[in-house]
Amino acid sequence: MRIALVNGSPKGGASNSGILLEKLKPLIAEGNELSVYRVNVKPLKPEQYGELNEADVLVLAFPLYFDAIPSHLLRMLVEFEQYRQSKQGNTDLIVYALINNGFYEGHQCKIAADIVSNWCSRSGLRFGMAVGHGAGEMFKSLSRVPLGKGPLKNLGAAMHQLSAAIHARSSAESLFIQPNFPRIAWRLAATHSFWHAQAKKNGLRPKELRRQAFQQSR
Amino acid sequence: MRLIVHDLAEPEYDAWLSGFCRETDEVIGLEGDIRHCVGCFGCWVRTPGTCVLKDSYKHMGERLAACEEFVLISRNVYGGYSPFVSNVLNRTLPYVLPYFTTKNGETHHQQRYERQIRFTVHFYGEGMTGAERETAQSLVGANALNLDASGYTVAFHDTLVSLKEVQ
Repeated sequence: MRIALVNGSPKGGASNSGILLEKLKPLIAEGNELSVYRVNVKPLKPEQYGELNEADVLVLAFPLYFDAIPSHLLRMLVEFEQYRQSKQGNTDLIVYALINNGFYEGHQCKIAADIVSNWCSRSGLRFGMAVGHGAGEMFKSLSRVPLGKGPLKNLGAAMHQLSAAIHARSSAESLFIQPNFPRIAWRLAATHSFWHAQAKKNGLRPKELRRQAFQQSR
Repeated sequence: MRLIVHDLAEPEYDAWLSGFCRETDEVIGLEGDIRHCVGCFGCWVRTPGTCVLKDSYKHMGERLAACEEFVLISRNVYGGYSPFVSNVLNRTLPYVLPYFTTKNGETHHQQRYERQIRFTVHFYGEGMTGAERETAQSLVGANALNLDASGYTVAFHDTLVSLKEVQ
């Protein structure tokens, strides 16, 4: 069957959504034709909407923005709904979502999963399931960790359930998970190894990240 | 002052919202180009508090900090905001800090500003489903928590006529 993998990260280069799709690919490759699409600030071309419309399975991978779907990807979903109104395509197209959020708890992705499900209802699509993962910004440092091992143990189990659902083209209960890594350690790492390190690269001290732009301008 | 973001075309705005908005309100509509947030975190680690994208929405964090009430008027799209309203909201990221705090046992962002705002959302659209209303209600509650709003209100309007009656 034809599986369209949509990387909905707005970033230009490497992305956490891309890493998640790379982890999923080997689990669903056998016997299937996989095509990857990148939806960032550049919209999809009409022929690409045509390809998505004829696929058997659609996997949407994206980061959580304000508890929902980032606006560039939302535009694509609206355009795809309109496209399906004009061109029938596959009437049994099933959709899965792979969501990552910058907080720790995977369940904070639930509203975005519900939005994808509501989009499916509007667009004549079948909603399969979602996997929502917390601590998304950790993925870059964990890209070489095998799925199912160490901090990616929960993700491994969830990806196996997701891939089983994709192979069967069936719907299942969505899964919301976090890394097998203590929340306090993740938070300390985010502050010191990520935000403060990024600030230093830009010649800023940690306390300058708290700058109140509004008061300064007055 | 209220900061109002809406997705109505000009004739609809003139017909239904010109009475809703007060002279002291700051109103953001569909005019001009808006760039999508690209997830670069520049508003947190390069120019803290201000977006690095060069368009008229780069100061959304400061504009949010300057208002008492943040009002969104949006078509209900799959239980969330319309692409334009969502785009503007995404650009308010510098309003919060990159650092985390724990609220109700969940991780959320620390606030950049000490003051709190009220958050009010009017969803409109014909034929909103029960699921779309429920999702939208949860979404506004979650956004209010992340923005550390002092309180929030969600209203649903089947037609723009009922929106006019809100005022």
